[in-house]
Amino acid sequence: MHVPDGFVSPQLTVPAYAVAAPLWVWAARRHFGHASAESLPVVGSLTALAFVIQTIAIPVPGGTSTHLVGVTLLAVIFHPLAAFVCESLVLVVQALFFGAGGVTVLAINALAMGLLGPLAGWLAYRAIRPASEKAAAFAAAYVSMQVATLALAAILALQHAIDPAYFPMPPAVTLTAMLLPSLTIAGAAEGLYTVFVLSLLRRANVRGLA
Amino acid sequence: MSAGSREARRDRALLAAWLAAVFAASAVSHVPALLAAWVIAAAALRRGSLRVIRRVLAAIVPVSAGLSIASVALLRARSGDWPDPTPFVALLLRTTLVGFVTLSVLARVRLPRALAAWPTLSRLLAVTLAQIHALRLLATDSLLGLRSRLVRKPRALDVVRGASGVTATLFTLSMRNARDVSDAMRSRGF
Repeated sequence: MHVPDGFVSPQLTVPAYAVAAPLWVWAARRHFGHASAESLPVVGSLTALAFVIQTIAIPVPGGTSTHLVGVTLLAVIFHPLAAFVCESLVLVVQALFFGAGGVTVLAINALAMGLLGPLAGWLAYRAIRPASEKAAAFAAAYVSMQVATLALAAILALQHAIDPAYFPMPPAVTLTAMLLPSLTIAGAAEGLYTVFVLSLLRRANVRGLA
Repeated sequence: MSAGSREARRDRALLAAWLAAVFAASAVSHVPALLAAWVIAAAALRRGSLRVIRRVLAAIVPVSAGLSIASVALLRARSGDWPDPTPFVALLLRTTLVGFVTLSVLARVRLPRALAAWPTLSRLLAVTLAQIHALRLLATDSLLGLRSRLVRKPRALDVVRGASGVTATLFTLSMRNARDVSDAMRSRGF
């Protein structure tokens, strides 16, 4: 789902960093700033959890696989800004310690997968929760996945429009390649996963969660 | 100046050079320039380069090449002519170059030492990495357990169910464990 390094030029990656940087500072101050001694373990723990969830591969017909993201869960339990900080840290750890994802596109991936997606999911959750909490959790995760994927596909389409010689893939190809697994398998899997985890956390009655 | 701090400065300088290099490489779409950059990078980072190239071939080339082939097929179907291959070659060279430089530099840098100048960041990363290691072991064990309990290959729903169950447990375990690690690091002056 990530946009890898080399697909997007600094014409877009630098402005994305300019947008993401103040949001990172604001989100970190708002959610984790006042008592970092207490909150750092929580951030680290949630980041690690999101990282591990993203390593769980789901088999997709045709022999390939997709993976869960798990950030909508954090947005629903805590807040979209908390999810944004955690997903950004996941991307930093992936880029620095595992050489995966990408450092030039980190802000773009963080904004799409950590902010836009979870924010849309969180809004969907709040809108549907009065009717049914399970339906709300499923819809939140599904919507979050599609919004994040659409945002990343839009960035690639924009890059193609700015300079087709830099990124020659037509939007039809990137949109299909990204949205097809997201709409069919990944969105539904993320939805079911979020419903199951929320139910388990409710039953476990963990203090401070759900 | 102690050897440790000299090495930390060297690591930080290498990280800064890496950041500048990958941003610069991500701006290039000229094939001869990318080829020249590849030659320079391969010469400068030749130690362990075969292992890195194998990782690049396995992780980066399939994505770039797969999308390129699909794009060429679509453009050919639309216009009836073969599209100019230069942008696709440039894309492949650029993505592999950035991947090669990234993996080579990260293999040469001791990140905890390089980041030690920022104690809060170090503590956060130490907590996160410790948790990742512990949680990955637990998640792998759980998924292996799931496979051993099923007579058939696990399907998507089985994996999602298994992952959900293990997540709830991991949540509580990791919160407690992360607090312990953080307290231990604080007591050691981080």
